[in-house]
Amino acid sequence: MTAIPQDAALVRITDLHKGYGAHIKVLRGLNIEMKPGERVVVIGPSGGGKSTLLRVVMGLEEIQQGSVTFAGKPYISAEGSKTRIDTEQRKKIGMVFQHYTLFPHLTVLQNLTLAPRKVHGVSRSAAEDRGRAILARFGLDAKADAYPSQLSGGQKQRVAIARALMLDPQLMLFDEVTSALDPELVAEVEAVILQLASQGMPMMMVTHDMWFARNVASRVIFCAGGVVVEDGPPEQVLGNPKEERTREFIDRVFHIKG
Amino acid sequence: MDYTLDLGAVTRNLGPLFDGLAVTLQLTVAANIIGITAGFGLALLVLSRFALLRLPAMLFVEFFRCTPAIVQIVWFFYCVPMLFNVFLDPITMGVLALGLNLTAFNAEAYRASIQAVPREHLDAGIALGLTPAQRVLNIVLPQAMRASVPVLLTNGIGTFQQSALVAIVGVADLMYQGKTLATQTYRPIETFTIIALFYLAVSFPVSQLVGWLERRRGLAAR
Ligand SMILES: Nc1ncnc2c1ncn2[C@@H]1O[C@H](COP(=O)(O)OP(=O)(O)O)[C@@H](O)[C@H]1O
Ligand SMILES: [Mg+2]
Repeated sequence: MTAIPQDAALVRITDLHKGYGAHIKVLRGLNIEMKPGERVVVIGPSGGGKSTLLRVVMGLEEIQQGSVTFAGKPYISAEGSKTRIDTEQRKKIGMVFQHYTLFPHLTVLQNLTLAPRKVHGVSRSAAEDRGRAILARFGLDAKADAYPSQLSGGQKQRVAIARALMLDPQLMLFDEVTSALDPELVAEVEAVILQLASQGMPMMMVTHDMWFARNVASRVIFCAGGVVVEDGPPEQVLGNPKEERTREFIDRVFHIKG
Repeated sequence: MDYTLDLGAVTRNLGPLFDGLAVTLQLTVAANIIGITAGFGLALLVLSRFALLRLPAMLFVEFFRCTPAIVQIVWFFYCVPMLFNVFLDPITMGVLALGLNLTAFNAEAYRASIQAVPREHLDAGIALGLTPAQRVLNIVLPQAMRASVPVLLTNGIGTFQQSALVAIVGVADLMYQGKTLATQTYRPIETFTIIALFYLAVSFPVSQLVGWLERRRGLAAR
């Protein structure tokens, strides 16, 4: 390992072990160091722990061993049987999930303004102005007062991204945000993520769309068996993998895609 | 059968029936106030992490769900005064018996709706930086409350109908007045038909409202 000073990493995951219950081991000593400005795409077989990894980074899960630092400061660590999570650090990270998570009893604009108002004490009018501006950027201004049930899947995911951006995250996590969508709706969501990428938003994402991965990633990590198998630029990991297991996986994925 | 219907025998005596209906509605409304508020508290106890709170609450719910309402009411009327030396007027006793029964059933409705809030919504709440209390207040409760309304209404009309049981312990409700009138006039068919129509007139609109709410919910969930 090259000696990179601690503060050079945006996220540093060290020896991460994470399972569910006593018998299911998912992550088995995972190490990842993500630098500011990087866009990391995590690929790997289904059930390999990609969602678990993102959920750990979001501070949603207990871990059994290891630690995560964020922006050079401690964030998550396993201490005995307890997991310590710095909730102030957690606020700097945003996440969009595979399943729709817009709150159905709130309008689009209320979904956007809830956290800024409750968490950061932003006034309603300031939060609404900000919300409308972000919605406009994503072509959703007409939907501000709609309820989630009135939106298409693609619109829901774009609103979910807008909602996360309201808190000015320093890192965005995307876990297969297009896999619940009808094929014709995928592009509009990917376009929004590409827009963020072009503005330099650091992100870590899981996707099965290899074309999209190649477009958005500055770095691709192939995860299997709970460890990092291969880690490198997209041209390498997706185009000409060094590891046999990566090669098999990539071949299979591209074959399925036809 | 040479029985000629004579509705007049009943319609001339509507006064007591309306008095009875007023008592029945009074029982229903009061029991629902208890059931809707205490039921929510009980649901929180049932969902508690602490066995000391959870187990007694679950026992309470199961007791009321697994015994016939008529047994609960009779038990309440005869055993509570003897066991606890508490003597209340019959209507208050009726309200308490019906209210506690409804509390148990409504607690189940609240519990189910609280648990039906998708886990992912809570994860999203964490990702948005909301505190546990803010997540409960802004994400869980509004969704759970809305989801509970149809069941609360259904349980509420259930209590309205079950309230007829208090007639057997001497509360002068609609059923009691009907029995009395039927005996006085020798007109059971007319009397009990009209009594049934009274109950129907109150229950039917509420049950229609429940159907409408559920259809609307079904549409919104798409
Ligand atoms: N909440 C959970 N409880 C138990 N097992 C889980 C849970 N979440 C995920 N798992 C298991 O952990 C493994 C990794 O899951 P996941 O991180 O979702 O993989 P991926 O996103 O790569 O498909 C799977 O075997 C899955 O069944
Ligand atoms: Mg997954």
